[in-house]
Amino acid sequence: MITGFLTFLFFFAIVGSILYGRKLIKTEKVDAVFGNPERSKGGIHWVIVGSSFLLLVWLYYSWDIAKSFFPKSANELCQVGKVNESLLSLKYLFPINERQLKSTSVIETETENLDNTIFYIKKSDKVNSQNKEKLINFVTKTKSTIPLLTNEKLLNNETKEQIRIVTEKINNLAKDFASIDYPNESPEEKTKRIEASIEEGTWSASSTSVENTIEIPSIPKTKRGLKFQTAAVELNLISDQFFELRNHNQQYKTVLENLKKEIKDFRSGLSPSDEISSSFAKDILKIARRIEYASIFPPKTLKDMQASIVNFDEVQKKEQGGLRWVDILLFPSGTIISSGPSCSEQGSGRWLPKPSDTVNKFALMLNPNVGFKQIPLIWYEMMDVSKIIGFLLPDWIADILPGEYPIHNEKGEIKPNFKSKVLNFVTGDFELFKIPIPTGHIWDSFLRVFLGLVAGIIVGVPLGLFMGLNRFAKGFFDPLIELYRPVPPLAWAPLVISVLGIDNLGKVFLLFMVSLSIMIISARAGASGTQLSKIHAAHSLGASKWQILRHVIFPNSLPEILTGIRVATGMCWGTLVAAEFLAGTTGVGFVENVAKKYFQYEVIWITIFIMGMLGLIFDITIRKIIDKTIPWRGKG
Amino acid sequence: MKKIISTVLGILFAFSLNASVANAAAKEVRVAYFLEWPSPNLEDMNKKAYAKALGVPVKWTNFTNGVAMTDAMLAGDIDISYSQGLMPYINAVKAKAPISLVDVAMEYGMGGTTCVTSKKSGITKANASELEGKKVAVPLGTMAEYVFTESMKIVGADRKKMNIIAMDPEEGAAALVSGDVVMACLFGGNSIKSATSVGTRLLTVDEARAGGIMGIDIVSVTNKFMKENPGMVKSFVELTHEANARFRAGKSDLKAMSKESEMKVADMNDTLSGFKFLTPKETKKSMKSGNLAKFLKGFDTPRGTVNTKFLP
Repeated sequence: MITGFLTFLFFFAIVGSILYGRKLIKTEKVDAVFGNPERSKGGIHWVIVGSSFLLLVWLYYSWDIAKSFFPKSANELCQVGKVNESLLSLKYLFPINERQLKSTSVIETETENLDNTIFYIKKSDKVNSQNKEKLINFVTKTKSTIPLLTNEKLLNNETKEQIRIVTEKINNLAKDFASIDYPNESPEEKTKRIEASIEEGTWSASSTSVENTIEIPSIPKTKRGLKFQTAAVELNLISDQFFELRNHNQQYKTVLENLKKEIKDFRSGLSPSDEISSSFAKDILKIARRIEYASIFPPKTLKDMQASIVNFDEVQKKEQGGLRWVDILLFPSGTIISSGPSCSEQGSGRWLPKPSDTVNKFALMLNPNVGFKQIPLIWYEMMDVSKIIGFLLPDWIADILPGEYPIHNEKGEIKPNFKSKVLNFVTGDFELFKIPIPTGHIWDSFLRVFLGLVAGIIVGVPLGLFMGLNRFAKGFFDPLIELYRPVPPLAWAPLVISVLGIDNLGKVFLLFMVSLSIMIISARAGASGTQLSKIHAAHSLGASKWQILRHVIFPNSLPEILTGIRVATGMCWGTLVAAEFLAGTTGVGFVENVAKKYFQYEVIWITIFIMGMLGLIFDITIRKIIDKTIPWRGKG
Repeated sequence: MKKIISTVLGILFAFSLNASVANAAAKEVRVAYFLEWPSPNLEDMNKKAYAKALGVPVKWTNFTNGVAMTDAMLAGDIDISYSQGLMPYINAVKAKAPISLVDVAMEYGMGGTTCVTSKKSGITKANASELEGKKVAVPLGTMAEYVFTESMKIVGADRKKMNIIAMDPEEGAAALVSGDVVMACLFGGNSIKSATSVGTRLLTVDEARAGGIMGIDIVSVTNKFMKENPGMVKSFVELTHEANARFRAGKSDLKAMSKESEMKVADMNDTLSGFKFLTPKETKKSMKSGNLAKFLKGFDTPRGTVNTKFLP
């Protein structure tokens, strides 16, 4: 419902904005020639077109439009899929979707395989000439079995009759299929089916659990669906009947039996040193058996059957009616496919979840009681302030106090003394008051990036400035930094994780490495880019070294530094997700990695959106800081 | 304006082209397998016997886990997965992936998949509840996760209270060596070897067997390939069982196998000793009513994805 409304909204937004844009061009200032920056200003309507178009493409390729306008189409297409599935094996025999008749292509490959075998037998120097002759004889005999299968005259009457029956069955089915009251369903059966289909649910991802159970209901909900399902069941029986059929006439059987026996005798008669000959014989037998198993028929025998299948295919396409157009137009790049007991979306609908499903699942996961793997996406927990004290104070304070820790007495009680109380205090094992602390996957990822970034800034900026101003620092640190900077951060990941562990420390250190090099480079560029005249001016006014650094060089390099922070943020996000892929218990990257293992495409896309959003928030925040703190940017 | 429209249409058209390349003609069969996971049919792979048996070239691609195998099958890059773990298969079928189970590759005790606790932590079967609140590495979604879950039931530890870290076996072993985790659940000979150098198995092979923990690896095929080339599936399954029979008779070429599995012969034999390669008869029984059927039932696997008609 909402999706349908949104579809129209986006559509009209696009059309309206384009019309508005065209009108605007006409009223544009005439003096704004090409190249004038004036021309790129404004244009919020193009933003609307861009984002509406993106959302429309998402709605379309995730098949959400199909779902909102034709909610039953998936169920019906599932039944059509069942028919196609049961036709698949039969169709594959004929040049319907293929270029060749299956018999033709089998004969072609096997003849080639036999020729190759002769070639290898002749070439082999480990087979004596006597055995060579025998082996080539086997190959020729195998080859001679093929005409026995493709000769129309040798075809058994029984086989002919069977093929006729199968053909007739398909034709009858096609005839029944076209009639309106196929299949016959009693009212009781109908109520039963409708009840079962209601119980099965509708076409959508589960909105009550992170895992999806049934996405596409497979019990037919409509009359048309039932028709296809019934036909699919019948077709399966027909197909099975046909594939049980083997074109093995008496002559073929005798020749093959003889061949098998001869090869067996030949192999048992060989001495152990003739292993190669034995394996050649085995290969020939394999080919012979493959020919036996393949459904090879005389060229014209299956003509009628082919016609009947083509006919049925046409009838079923016609019976699809409007559904066919829904399938073509609203299920782009893929369709609903039936496989075994269930139906599934195959194509873009599989890996691109529907916006409606994604929003539902996101709302579900935001619920702190659900989250992902028992951890909420983002929530808060109450933490005692004492924990912070415990973290800040080192534990050895208690150890260096005089005295001993308490020992239990004979009654089994432990009486705390001063030393143990101090220990409780420095380890944070006491109660003060509680404050809410954010927690969850998103918060963990955020914190890692934030810490890595801050650490990089704290170390990188002074070091960069120092390098920009001092010959020693430049010379000393330059080789180190220039060597590690060009390495892609991810290349460090396995190493850092082995050395510093899989905890936050390793990940934060990795991000620190990423941000550090960027911060050094930008701070250094900022420091060395300060205009000399400004430094001279400060000097002549009697500024000290520190004052010059604080009031001239630092403000001058701030624009560069802040741009560096923006770049570093982006890099940190990219690295973080990959680091969380490698080893993780929490974090957005961890969620994505686990979701991938369970094929939860909605969750994968949710994590992608979260990462995009967080990156955007970081970027906007920094842009705001830049605007606030350095109004002189671009004006010096 | 015209240009915009034509560009848009062009993009739409490009999207509509189906990405997966159809392999209907089957000029080549693409099989997925594991390194460090030996099986008798590796000898046939080494000697190109599969290409002879199937009549077309066979391309073998190695994978690190069964989940990736399913991914590749869905993308249309793999036709047959040999020795895919049952857990990845179950997860895939539950996600409605169009693949079918046609054969049991092997059954194994905890020899090949196991949980190892570090010696430093001092945790053994007896005090396993101490694992609660500590960090353990588990390759989620694989057979190792199943072994982990079952082992925890046996030793009476609560997996919900543990800090489970998703790691592949190689990284899990490295994390155990560095002391980051107190237990790592893993598979693969080399990974287990490096893990047991600093730790001990939580459950011995016999204890695990007694506790009913058993792994099953299977052979899965895409439904499309199965429907279109039933003969090839049959030949593949047949040749695999021939190799298994040869192995049971002690006639396998261990050197060829070790070369293809990239393991030393001694290590390989060690791993192989924990495997049981079923006869066709046993396989059928396992698939219909035996271990495999029970396993699938225990995990509420959708029915109708197991196909016994290709067994010799």
